[in-house]
This record gives sequence, C-alpha cells and structure tokens, in this order.
Amino acid sequence: MSEAGATPRLTRRRLLALGVGSPVLAVGLEGAQLALATAAHAESGVRLADADRLRRLVSVELLMLYCYEHVLAGSLLDARSRRLITPLRAHEQAHVRVLSAHLTALGGTPPAPPASVKEADRNLARRGVAGRLGQLTGGRDALFLLLAVEKVVVGAYFVALIKLNDLQLVTLAAQIMANDAQHEALVGEALYPGDAQKAVPSGLVQGTQ
Amino acid sequence: MVTGDEQAPAFPAPRRALLKRASGAVLGLAAFGVVGCGSAAKTGQQSVKNAPQSVRSGDVALLNGLLDLERHTVAAYTAGIPLLLHPEAKTARQFLDEELEHTGELLSLIKAAKGIPIARRASYDLAHPRSAADALSLLHSLERAQITAYLGALPRLSPGTVRAAVASILTSDAQHVAILRLAQGEVGAPSAFVTGHE
Repeated sequence: MSEAGATPRLTRRRLLALGVGSPVLAVGLEGAQLALATAAHAESGVRLADADRLRRLVSVELLMLYCYEHVLAGSLLDARSRRLITPLRAHEQAHVRVLSAHLTALGGTPPAPPASVKEADRNLARRGVAGRLGQLTGGRDALFLLLAVEKVVVGAYFVALIKLNDLQLVTLAAQIMANDAQHEALVGEALYPGDAQKAVPSGLVQGTQ
Repeated sequence: MVTGDEQAPAFPAPRRALLKRASGAVLGLAAFGVVGCGSAAKTGQQSVKNAPQSVRSGDVALLNGLLDLERHTVAAYTAGIPLLLHPEAKTARQFLDEELEHTGELLSLIKAAKGIPIARRASYDLAHPRSAADALSLLHSLERAQITAYLGALPRLSPGTVRAAVASILTSDAQHVAILRLAQGEVGAPSAFVTGHE
C-alpha cells in the first residue's frame, strides 16, 4: 500500500541528499542516524495507528455483513425490501475484502467475523444497538436493526477520518463511508417509501458514535 | 437565476438552525473534544465558537471551490423543484434544505479559517431543464460532481477534524444520489465505493 499521504519516508540516502550528513563529521553522522531512527519510529507508530483503525473498521463491517446475511437468509423481508437490500450485502463483502487487504499490507491481522447469532448479538449490545438478531419479529424489525447498524458503521468511518494518517486510506474510508450512508438511505427508503424526510433526515451525516 | 442560498446568506442564522437540530458536524466533533477544549466542548454554541482555531487558512481556496459547487446545486434544486411531481418534489425540497445546510457548514469552516467566502455568482449554468426527467438528470449530475470534488479535496484538507466535517457533507450528497437514482428507476447504490463516476 502506498504511503503517499503519510509522513514522507526518510531514507539514509534521502537524508544524505538533503545534506544531513554532508559535513562528514562524526557528530553529523550520529545526528543523521538519530534522525533516521526517530523518523522510522514515528513512521512505525503511524502505520500501527492506521492498522488499528483499519482493524476496527473491518470488525464493524464484518458485523454489518453478518446482519445482512442473517436477515437475507430468513423470510422476514417483503419483496420490495428484499430487492432494495439484497445488493447491499455484496457491497459489505467488498468493503471487508479491500479493508482487510490494506490491513494485511500494514502488517495487521483481520479480525474474525461473528461465529454465531449469539456472538453477533453480544457485539451489537456492546456497540449500543438496541435490536438483536435472535429476537427479530418481522420485516420492519429487521430493517430497523440494519438501519441502526449502518449508522454505527458510518459513525466508525467518521471517527476514522479524524484519525487516519495515510491519505490513500482517507480517500478509501470516505468512499466506503459514503456507500454505507447510501445503504442507510436505502434501508430508510424501504422503511418509509417516498418519505425522504425520514429516510434521509440530516444534511450532515455522521452516523452513531 | 436565483441562487437559493439567499435563504441562508448570513452565517449566524443557519448555524443557529443547525445548533437547534443538534446535528452539525462541528457538534459531532465537539463530542470527541476535538474542537474547543475543556468546558468549551460541552456546549454546542461554545464548541462552534471555538471551531475556528482548527481550520487552516491554506484550506480556504479548497473550501471556497466546494462552496461554489454547493451554490450551483442549490440553484439547480431551486430551478428544478417546480418541474417535479409529488413525491419527487417533496424529496427535492428536503434535499434543497440539506444543500443549504452544506453551504452553511462550508461558510462556517471558511470563517473559522478567517477566510472570505467566495461571492455568489449572478447566475449558474443549469442547462435549461424542461421536464421532470431533465431536472432529475441535472440534479443527479451535479450531486455526482460534488462527490467527485469532495473526494478530491478530502486528502488535501487538514486536520482530520476538518476532513470529517467535510466528509459528513460528501456522505449526505451520496445519499441524495442514491435516492435520485431510485427516482430515475435505477439501482440506488451501483458500487461499493462511491466515487461520483457511476
């Protein structure tokens, strides 16, 4: 993955080119080595911070994906809602795939998806989502749950955009955040057909943090 | 052509409206304590007041470019709504309100950087829509243009708090695109990654 947006990579050659070591004094060389070590340490910290943020995003995306799979595997949704919702599952799979690849490139290990409905429900509770996959009673119930989780996902990207360092990841996070917000709007449209005031209630979308 | 954001030309009014709704991006950021500090971050009014410190003056040109695009879109909604039927007209009015919210947010960011907001144009090229389909097509293309512009600007903005504030606008425009696409009989979200190039 490109480090385009992160702190410029300082190599020994680049430091020398910048004249850091040109006086050929021992003190200068030691200074250059110290600068290199400091830069490497800072760069490592930036990568670790970005990896941690990506791991959190993959984790919440995996929960979202699990919820879509669970709802779509059942028969709670009516035909219109199913038609609106079905394509969104593939988007979540794509988000997980791309974010996991970036996380791996940064040396991280992607988290595992929820292993069961019980585990997913515990995860939902931990994130402050009121609904539970194991207690869905109808189509609207399922849509409300999906809507609530999408808001949590959008909120996770909102926070990530504050914290990410790599500018390539910033762009990627914004692209995915926008897509998950579209999901929020489409689930909202399934709940409130033709009522944009309810489906898209705010001009500044931040999700739930 | 009426630009539309005459309804919200001055900074204080839309901010007050925003604060009432408690939905402003700056308020969201205040929740993280990233605008203002200490007790200042506890209330919306004070948080917004403190927001200026975190916006770079070097970002004013970028933010002004985005503001110009938002005003263009506001003008298009203002011109297009009379051509639309229910329920699209109602939806478009909602989106117009949200576009005005975007201009208010950008104005607040520009002022936060002690910048001067770009002047409103006397008119905008709207390609003379004559039907509901024309209007939807115009709105769809302008919303996409905004998405592209926001995505181009985001990595150049700093710090992260400003990026997040701008992303909250981009994300709203992406929602508009999804609903406009449905109104045009298309799939709401055609791609897992929103780029503005559908």
